[in-house]
Amino acid sequence: MNDAMIRARGVKKTYTRAGETLTVLDGLDLEMEEGHFYALMGPSGSGKTTLLNLVGGLDAADEGELLVAGESLADLSGGELAAWRAANVGFVFQAFNLIPVLSAVENVELPLLLSPLNRAQRREHAMYALKLVGLEDRAKHRPQQLSGGQEQRVAIARAIATDPKLILADEPTGDLDRKSAEQVLDLLVRLNGELKKTILMVTHDPHAAERAQRVVHLDKGQLGRVETRAAAAT
Amino acid sequence: MLVPLAYNVRSIFVRRSATILTLLGIGATVTVLTGFLALRAGFRAVYTQGGRSDVVYFLRPGATSEGQSSFPRERADRLVKSTPEIAQDAKGAPLAAMEIYNAVRRQKARGAGETNVPIRGVQPASFALREGFRVVAGREFKFGSDEVMVGTKLIDRIQGCGLDEVIQLNTTPFRVVGVFESAGAAPSEIWGDYERIGVALAVPWANSILARLKPGVDLKEFASRIKNDKENPCKVMTEPEYLEAQTNALGTMLAMVGVILGVVMGVAAIFTAMNTMLAALAARTHEIGILLSVGFRPLAIFVSFLFEALLLGLLGGAIGCLLALPLNGIETGTTNWDTFTEIAFSFRLTPDVLVTAVIFSLALGLFGGAIPAFRAARLAPTEALRRR
Amino acid sequence: MISLKLVRRNLLKHKMRSALTIASLVVGIFLLCVLRSLVVAIESGVQGAKRDRLVVQSAVSLFVSLPLNYQAKMEEVPGVAKIVKWQWFGAYWQEPKNFFANFATDPDALFDVFPEIEIVEGSVEEWRKDRRGCIVGDKIAEEYHWKVGQTIPLISAIFPPPQGDTWEFTVSAIYRPKSTAIDRRTMFFQWEYFEKGVEPLYGESPGTGTYFLRLAPGADQNEVMRRIEAMYENGPQRVTCSTEAAFQMQFVTMMGNIPTLMMSIGTGVLIAIALACVNTMLMAFRDQAHDVGIMKALGFTDGGVAGYMLSQSLFLCLLGGLLGVALAKGSQPLLMMGPMGAMFPGYDVTNRTMVIAASLSAAIGLVAGFVPALAARRMRSVDALRSVE
Repeated sequence: MNDAMIRARGVKKTYTRAGETLTVLDGLDLEMEEGHFYALMGPSGSGKTTLLNLVGGLDAADEGELLVAGESLADLSGGELAAWRAANVGFVFQAFNLIPVLSAVENVELPLLLSPLNRAQRREHAMYALKLVGLEDRAKHRPQQLSGGQEQRVAIARAIATDPKLILADEPTGDLDRKSAEQVLDLLVRLNGELKKTILMVTHDPHAAERAQRVVHLDKGQLGRVETRAAAAT
Repeated sequence: MLVPLAYNVRSIFVRRSATILTLLGIGATVTVLTGFLALRAGFRAVYTQGGRSDVVYFLRPGATSEGQSSFPRERADRLVKSTPEIAQDAKGAPLAAMEIYNAVRRQKARGAGETNVPIRGVQPASFALREGFRVVAGREFKFGSDEVMVGTKLIDRIQGCGLDEVIQLNTTPFRVVGVFESAGAAPSEIWGDYERIGVALAVPWANSILARLKPGVDLKEFASRIKNDKENPCKVMTEPEYLEAQTNALGTMLAMVGVILGVVMGVAAIFTAMNTMLAALAARTHEIGILLSVGFRPLAIFVSFLFEALLLGLLGGAIGCLLALPLNGIETGTTNWDTFTEIAFSFRLTPDVLVTAVIFSLALGLFGGAIPAFRAARLAPTEALRRR
Repeated sequence: MISLKLVRRNLLKHKMRSALTIASLVVGIFLLCVLRSLVVAIESGVQGAKRDRLVVQSAVSLFVSLPLNYQAKMEEVPGVAKIVKWQWFGAYWQEPKNFFANFATDPDALFDVFPEIEIVEGSVEEWRKDRRGCIVGDKIAEEYHWKVGQTIPLISAIFPPPQGDTWEFTVSAIYRPKSTAIDRRTMFFQWEYFEKGVEPLYGESPGTGTYFLRLAPGADQNEVMRRIEAMYENGPQRVTCSTEAAFQMQFVTMMGNIPTLMMSIGTGVLIAIALACVNTMLMAFRDQAHDVGIMKALGFTDGGVAGYMLSQSLFLCLLGGLLGVALAKGSQPLLMMGPMGAMFPGYDVTNRTMVIAASLSAAIGLVAGFVPALAARRMRSVDALRSVE
């Protein structure tokens, strides 16, 4: 039960931007256990978002080994990676999470389109996810008709729609006001506590990090200190 | 596996001005192409309907139309007498007619200038040889008199061709005594007695001989036999063949112009569509990022954007066809480049024409959307999700 | 005032978009030039008509001949200096698509009535000596690679040859006309050869379709026309005597509304291009709204930023237009080969056409840039700076 959900060994990632080469992750070693809520913190440029993208299979490491949910990501082809992602990962971004021309429930249904479920089943699952985040009465609304906090909760509903093992959140409260941010964090804590989802949340906000069980610090592309909270805040 | 179609359908209407401009660009192109194809279809329809495969034209070898052909009188007589394949009427006379095909200068209505109206000198059998021939006003002209009948298409379009008006052929006045309707190109012609027309125009010769053949005649063998006849070789064409041949020059020209125009305007329309799709792509990179992060593959993204472009094409094509619909049935006329005489016809939006228009508009969408769709599919998730 | 460098930078920033817009203009303006040149070609016969030439044809029909004895009688009419007859022969070389104008005529009279026919190779004496001789325009000689002295067999659609399938001619000379009244793709051959050739079939002397008359200096054109028409009022064939310009016009109107058609097509093309340009400029404005706001905050005037937007549009459209014009002019020799050259011998991309085309592209530039320019002018910096794109 305490298997490593994420295991990184000697992970290196460089970017070339405007002729300059930047080493973002420099031989990172990291392990994250299943069922825990992790906050990933570090100064700007420390590689937090990069690491998140690598774990989610949105990008590939240049060097090193990365096992996520039992799969060595480097061994998967592009198509296999996409399929793996659909089944195992749910993403939540800081902004522009939802497709504007689709309604809330249609947005939540998106990952379900990649599963073998039929139409009725998809709708059922999506509505259930929306119910979990408390927005089933907003199912038919378009993103423009929702507040920032509501949009983010719909995004979370989408992230859990296929019941993935892992939720990856990149600054999910960054664009939200205090109250909405609290609601979103409450939700994440619930998902981790009740549904046993492994959550990796990148954040700047120490207040948000407080709600996680473990806080991982990155510095200059390498692992810094790891804090453990005694009990997850409720 | 595929991105929901609703995504694309709804996305089209988000950027309204660009979409409208694109649809108008495609629409205008389709309208023009459809117009030309409809013009061509209408022109050809006049000739390719109502030709009987048992009616043949005898022409001078090497001629492609009656105007170029000529038969001295005796040769024509001999031909008719010596061809047993020609059918006979109730009285036992051969169902064959010598005809003069010439033209008279007439002014077009509404001061549009001069044109050459075909005039045909016919014999009694000529009426029976024409499909659907009937008099709609006045009466048939009397053989032996200086009278003519005009086809229905001449009434509105040519000056001086109305009932009771007089058409002057050199020094002989001919009175218009009737108006006739018929299948084919005849309604654009003036008909009179072969003998009288020949004398008035000082044209002693026939241009062609028409005849109906007995049933069961092998056309290929018959044509070959007449072609190789030592004394009196002739070119034989069935009526459908002959009529078809009269549509070559103008028909080809209309098709060519339509296609060239379609291509040129199409290129501008494709570029408009491409620009619109590229702009849409630029504005929707985050959406693509979301789709990729959820697990949709690049191929699905490609298909999605291509579908959107095809939809633009289709909608533009529908607009184009709608704009062209009012043309249907509008009468016009011009000089047939094969016969060099005036022919009246109308625009005809046939199913063929519409299908061509739709396929063309889809092609426009396809070419306009291919590169943007390709670019969309090549977006790396991290690029697409990057905050600006 | 408006930095050209800024304009250029902006256009280069969106290479694909600028390229596509310029390309639509190139294609559209090219077509417009071609269309106008076709109309010019169709009307060129009319333009080149000489004022001292008249044409006599049958009053009744284009397809009826006039007796040969008309010539002697018409020559007696005061004011008529010289007459030459032309009979349309309707022949092609090898295949029906190799079709060009050919006429049987009198070699002596031809050059008297048409002094603009200039011999560039071979000689008129050669032609006079050889009954089967002919003179051909330099354009067909070039296209079919005919040389002086070469034998060319032609097939006439109207007149069967006395024996075999073809009429044999020898190229005696190559001509080049000094005006557009005669085109460069015609062939003239000897009347005698024609007459002898059709005699077996017709059994009598054929008539001729057209007589061209040259008036003596100071002759009253209208009087001559009236007299000639009156002479044959009672037949056998009534005639119509018209000026050469009217004669050429006949062929233009016969083509129906083709000049009008071409121009309406041109409008359609212009619309398509204009739409493409308006689309581009609207897009350009959308992503430059922010920049415009900054410019205004920095002190650029309303008129200045409006001009800035307009300059982009003008630059794009003029560039595309000029390229299109260049393409049209450059492709002229290429287009003249083959069927286009046969149908429109007078095709020429004139200076006037090029100027009109360039002006049209500038006009499109102004139209397309109008809305963005207006919007830029009206915009308040505050709004612009707030807009994030």
